[in-house]
Amino acid sequence: MKLFPVQEIGSLPKAPWQIAYLRNDHPTDADLQHLSKWAKVSSFETETQTRSVLSSPKTKDTERTLREYSSLFGLRYLESAGLDIVYDGEANRIEMYEHAIRNSNGFEFYGHVRSFDNRYYRKAACVTKAGFRKPYHLDEFNYVKAHTKRKIKVPITGPYTLADWSFNEFYQKRLAKKYSDFRKLKHEAKRELVLDIGKEIIRPNLKALVDAGADFIQVDEPALTTKPDEVNFFVEAFNESTAGINCKLSVHICYSDYRNLYPHIMELKNCSQLALEFANRGSETHPYDMLNLLIEFGDRREIGLGVSDVHTDTIEEPELIRDRIKYASKVLDDPSRIYVNPDCGLRTRSWDVAYAKLCNIVKGAEMARQTT
Amino acid sequence: MEAHLTGFFPRSEELVRITRAFERHKLGRSELEQATQNDAVHLLELQKKASFDYVVDGQLNWQDHFRPFSQIFSGINPSGLTRWYDNNTFYKQPIITEKVRYLGTGLEEYFRYDLIPVKTAKKAILPGPYTFAHSSQRPAYTSLADLVNDLAHALRETCRRLVEHGYSYFQFDEPALTFHKANNDELTIAKNAFEILGNIPNAKTCLETYFGDAAPILDSLLEFKTNCIGIDLYATSLESIQDYKFDKELACGCIDGRNSLLETPTDLAKVLHKTKTITDKISICPNCDLEFLPYTVAEKKIQLLSETKNRVKL
Repeated sequence: MKLFPVQEIGSLPKAPWQIAYLRNDHPTDADLQHLSKWAKVSSFETETQTRSVLSSPKTKDTERTLREYSSLFGLRYLESAGLDIVYDGEANRIEMYEHAIRNSNGFEFYGHVRSFDNRYYRKAACVTKAGFRKPYHLDEFNYVKAHTKRKIKVPITGPYTLADWSFNEFYQKRLAKKYSDFRKLKHEAKRELVLDIGKEIIRPNLKALVDAGADFIQVDEPALTTKPDEVNFFVEAFNESTAGINCKLSVHICYSDYRNLYPHIMELKNCSQLALEFANRGSETHPYDMLNLLIEFGDRREIGLGVSDVHTDTIEEPELIRDRIKYASKVLDDPSRIYVNPDCGLRTRSWDVAYAKLCNIVKGAEMARQTT
Repeated sequence: MEAHLTGFFPRSEELVRITRAFERHKLGRSELEQATQNDAVHLLELQKKASFDYVVDGQLNWQDHFRPFSQIFSGINPSGLTRWYDNNTFYKQPIITEKVRYLGTGLEEYFRYDLIPVKTAKKAILPGPYTFAHSSQRPAYTSLADLVNDLAHALRETCRRLVEHGYSYFQFDEPALTFHKANNDELTIAKNAFEILGNIPNAKTCLETYFGDAAPILDSLLEFKTNCIGIDLYATSLESIQDYKFDKELACGCIDGRNSLLETPTDLAKVLHKTKTITDKISICPNCDLEFLPYTVAEKKIQLLSETKNRVKL
């Protein structure tokens, strides 16, 4: 792999024609223009077939076909932006939490909860023991694998985040008689939920992906530092769910105080990369001083360096991205440990903004390569 | 025993749908405003039906606890997303770029007194000055104490204007004091701010703590100039505060705003009878904002609070 490989983190926005068709609406002219525009830009080879599906009545077969084309559309978009490591922009996942929970056992959805501004997620309660229903990323992985020659990284939401974003009714009720102090009850019930999700849901999913040929999986844990005294629950669950899994594993964490990860994550046994958000924290290079934490704790893992803020439409110039990469290289004193990515998934940006950001990341990484 | 809400109320599924459509430019601002108003009116009706002693507007158009003040005060600019304590909820961290002063712009947009009947007792919920400063970047200030002081003056002026619009209860949220376990110097800074805030004519004030154990700092909090102290009973054990002499009202945060499991009136009665041994002056409320719950669960918690108020006689 070349120096400073560029990878995505996960989600892209959903294509408007995909949303319209799946909602039984007729795609508008603007939706179809979107398809044409990006098909040209990204050399999407099935535009005609996609249009044909969009103009036909929705059936199980056409829906499946459209979902495949949507996946291919995301894949080609990322390839044409020049990324070295790709996936499909999570084209067929409802959302990183809901997709996993909806395809697992033990949960019931109660309604939307706001995460910020006008952004929400549908929140579930764990009402019976958390359990495996099916390998919910296998079909998309097999499809992506069959349609790209580039290296693939599969994002999968981690056990701690799935637990933290759920209400924990089952385990709290189960332990209620054991603990009279509510704080202790909540803590222990959370630990049991995280461990069960890791063992019963994440491990069989990882195993299915690796058996199908996945060799690079990113475990998404945006919630990981929410409660610093629970970081060790994740470490325990991660180690248990990945034991014996023969695959490169990265952990993605964002919008967090990374100091809370240490020293616990030094105990992660099978994680060779931390993919972290930085660019949201400031306009220049100072957020990357946080990398000194790795030096302080002797953490020699690779870093997936967040160089583009996914919560703003400002397109970072390639020169700024180059400077961020070079600065991080200097702090880590080892450029070969750096992979380059946006801070997080790009689903909240428009297709134009996301593409411009990705193209500039690719350019910035190339500029950094030339001067290293 | 008084009962009331303590913060942001979740948006209904309809309002969620409309805010999303607004973000996608599929609906205009007028539709969004109408839907927000419909939710606020419904929440007011729920509180009336529940016989709450003060009503809140639910803060349904507040983007986070601080954003409105980038309009209402000078010197405050929202920046990067930052986690709101230990929740999967984020706020835009305020950057204080110049001296903070009260401007008053947008007051009527964020405090919906226009929707609340004139004779209904109104409660306004505001960020406490210490938590506000603690949650901000403050390049314009070299001293935390100076910023807290200026924020207290600006908040006091906000309250003074709101009194003119009929508000008689002001809750100042200070989770930073308990969550981050404030030390003596920090408590002194906060206490000085409440010397400014605790003296609002014709109004009652409450220092609301949540997300953290209040017991270690309760000694100090009891010296603050405020009529009431709100305690999160899911972060503070009653046993740990039993020996304190309360000369203020204790707002018992006994409904958990972060748990979908519904408390039972029997369990709540037990808690309140225990609380009675600490002080006679008790009010009941959720421990924090209810916006961490889906709408239907939050509605049930309102009903539960009402049942508890009506059933438990202390």
